[in-house]
Amino acid sequence: MSSLVGFLSLVFAIGINFYLFLSRYIFKFQKQKFNLFIRFSSLLTLLSFFSLMYAYVVSDFSNYNVFQNSHSNKPLIYKISGTWGNHEGSMLLWLCILSIFSFFFSFTKNIEDNFQKLTLIIQAFLHILFGLFIVFTSNPFLVNSILVNEGLGLNPILQDPGLAVHPPILYAGYVGYSIVFSIAIAGLFQNTDDEWLYVAKKWSLISWTFLTGGIALGSYWAYYELGWGGWWFWDPVENISLMPWIAGLALVHSLMMVRGEQAIKKWIVFLSILCFSLSVFGTFLVRSGILTSVHSFAADASRGIFILLIFFIVTGFGFLVFLLKEPKKSNALNLLFINKVSALVINNILMIIATLTILLGTIYPIIIEVLYNKRISVGGPYFNSTVIPIMIPGFLLMSIAPILSWQTNKINNSKKYVLAFIILSVLVILQSYFLDFNTWGFVGLLLGFWIILASIIAIFSSYKIKINIKFFKIINPHVAHIGVGIAIIGITCSSVFQNELDFNLNEGDKFNVNGKTVLFEKIETTDEINFQSLRGKFLFDIEKNQSKEIQAGKNYYPVSKMITSEAGILHQWNKDIYFILGDQKNNEWFVKVLINPFVSFIWLGVIIMMYSGLIAVFRR
Amino acid sequence: MKLSHFYKFLHIIILSFVFFTIKIFAVENIDERVKKLTLELRCMTCQNQSIYDSDAEFSNDIKKIVKQKLQEGQSELDIKIFLVERYGEYILFRPLMNYNNIFLWSFPFILLIIGLFFVLIKTKRNKA
Amino acid sequence: MNRIFILTPLIVLLIICIFSLVYLLSGKDPNKPPSALLNKDVPIFESSSLYNEKDIIKTKDIKNKKTLINFFASWCSPCKIEHPLFFEIGKKYPELYLLGFNHKDPTSDAKKYLKDDGNPYDFVGVDSDGLIALEFGVFGLPETYLINEDGKIIYKFMGPITMDILKNEIEPLL
Repeated sequence: MSSLVGFLSLVFAIGINFYLFLSRYIFKFQKQKFNLFIRFSSLLTLLSFFSLMYAYVVSDFSNYNVFQNSHSNKPLIYKISGTWGNHEGSMLLWLCILSIFSFFFSFTKNIEDNFQKLTLIIQAFLHILFGLFIVFTSNPFLVNSILVNEGLGLNPILQDPGLAVHPPILYAGYVGYSIVFSIAIAGLFQNTDDEWLYVAKKWSLISWTFLTGGIALGSYWAYYELGWGGWWFWDPVENISLMPWIAGLALVHSLMMVRGEQAIKKWIVFLSILCFSLSVFGTFLVRSGILTSVHSFAADASRGIFILLIFFIVTGFGFLVFLLKEPKKSNALNLLFINKVSALVINNILMIIATLTILLGTIYPIIIEVLYNKRISVGGPYFNSTVIPIMIPGFLLMSIAPILSWQTNKINNSKKYVLAFIILSVLVILQSYFLDFNTWGFVGLLLGFWIILASIIAIFSSYKIKINIKFFKIINPHVAHIGVGIAIIGITCSSVFQNELDFNLNEGDKFNVNGKTVLFEKIETTDEINFQSLRGKFLFDIEKNQSKEIQAGKNYYPVSKMITSEAGILHQWNKDIYFILGDQKNNEWFVKVLINPFVSFIWLGVIIMMYSGLIAVFRR
Repeated sequence: MKLSHFYKFLHIIILSFVFFTIKIFAVENIDERVKKLTLELRCMTCQNQSIYDSDAEFSNDIKKIVKQKLQEGQSELDIKIFLVERYGEYILFRPLMNYNNIFLWSFPFILLIIGLFFVLIKTKRNKA
Repeated sequence: MNRIFILTPLIVLLIICIFSLVYLLSGKDPNKPPSALLNKDVPIFESSSLYNEKDIIKTKDIKNKKTLINFFASWCSPCKIEHPLFFEIGKKYPELYLLGFNHKDPTSDAKKYLKDDGNPYDFVGVDSDGLIALEFGVFGLPETYLINEDGKIIYKFMGPITMDILKNEIEPLL
């Protein structure tokens, strides 16, 4: 029953959008009526999504999608998240978020009616494309032809709280760029004033913040769930999320900086189209099963072709409009040797090069396999040795960019910066001399600390310190950059100075980690609701009274016959101690202990960046 | 601000940097070399995991072979070629710099040069 | 000049779409990379028979005849699935030389497996340390290779062979 409701409301919503789309040419509408229709179609899409969720919650196995991906003994949260834990449901979520964005956009005030209407018509067009995709190739409301009492179960790797919320947040980022795309295209068509830039800035900041959160959640999940000790693997699916993220970052910066320069306006439109194109292309790569990845969905060629078609239409349409309707004339670029505009231009160029390099690296294996019928891998080492060096000058520039002036190439208080930089360099050199020297460690630490230091100097020397909302808005760019600096330190330390210890242990053995004694207490197996767990229990620092217990092990999910590893992590502010329980050989357990210094800084940096993203939404 | 100051200091940093890099070429022990190499090899039976990180049987076999060959004094490239002949270039996370991959490796630098030219041409050198 | 600059995204888009489309339509499986040894000479190997240590097979012994090489083990469950098909191949193509390599198996287990399920191979070579498999680039069992009279590998299949694979991919090469 709920499936029927869901399907009908989905089709009805697509119908309304089709009607609205045609309205551009055939029927003329009042603004009020038009907005009402948009909101109504959004609510219908939402209804459709919630009826699927309802089917999951009540374990309605007459729905084929529920039967394939759910099981009645799952905890409630995973029944809910199971809605988007599969291809069909997640595409419906995608569509749902698209219409939520349209819904909120229809309330935007202070913009011209025609412009708003045109933006929403482009949104309606996107809604139709993705809606048809769902109806024809990935319908989540199919009826199960056989009568069953039990489902096949959710992929155990997805049965995790982090991954339960990861897709909606990530999709909010991806799909958020649809509205930026629509605004930019509408801006090209209407091209009346620059008001659309302000609107686009808001929405692109919102999308970027969501995308940041989504990526961070995903990599945090990879950190503790995959049990490989790292949090970023340059996996194709990670690359796919990183591309619109970097392009979006370039977009946000351009939008903040634009003062009516034609060249930058053009560039903004280009980036807006690019961001959404990359989001759709990412969806294509993941859903077509064209890449091997930890995250891949069930592959199906017809779906792949359909999304490829959508990608082609959307991107082709965007760039074609871009080609035919250039933004009208305006001020020229005021590029000095080093002023704010040139810093922005350089940073944008670097970010776009990084994005394109990741894009090429991700699709290069496809090209090679088509041309030569052999398969190559383009993995972490490639990206580490191309993307990171490209970004380094950008990071250097970033530290001083917010205090550069618009018109001249003077920097205020330059002596302070030079002095700070020297002291910092000496400290970092000393540090790397006494510890093990490592080039990347050196560069990363210097950059990270320099960015933080320069931002702090800038805050203290350029503004009067006050504790009110306005002050926080003013220093927001510096705060964002401090976040980046902190994240860079975390990234550098946790990857370069990671320490690995291997042990072969019997139960009851004591061993030494980082000068602390650890007791391998026992191995325990228990039966949980939907899995069996095997846990090695460790007591960390047994000499102290409050020793901490760490559990590392594996889960076995009988329904899907899968084993997942569960790393045991002891979080401390300056390091994570990461336990991995290996296999048993000759009565001894293999235990790997990783010491990851300053991992928490990465998440702290990301949170600061997201905070700044949100604050910037309110800053005009 | 006199930017020349800034560059002088950058210069000093780079020099000391070069000095310190010499330390990198200090002798690495065999396990570190195995780690370095196997981190760049794909475990063919896993999902995007390196041989070093993986505990699969395939990975353990390859680790043994890599160690043995390093002890025999073979170079990293020799070992890579040995593996590529059997498993294909797919096993290498770092693509070889060969004819097919020339575009892949040169692309970022071509873009960088184009970008640099763009900035240089557009920049007005007025000393305000 | 400016126009050309703006045209680039469209050209790139077109290239990406064409390559992706060709890849999708070619039906390649991302989980099964094409073999590096295809159309190359059979690697040099030497192995003794499972039943008689003195009976040794070398690369030159399989020259001048079509050979189907199959890597199997008693502990590999997909191998059990494809096992009966080798009897059919043997019956249908008596000319074809069926060479099995027993991969990392205790001899007793291998013998028991071939006793229980039957032995379809003309020769069962022992590969207890997996070195022959390494030469062939095997990384998951079972794997099957077809070698022509000139000693070149003309076909490789990863995973258990099915009736469809046999009919559509192997038989046309025999």
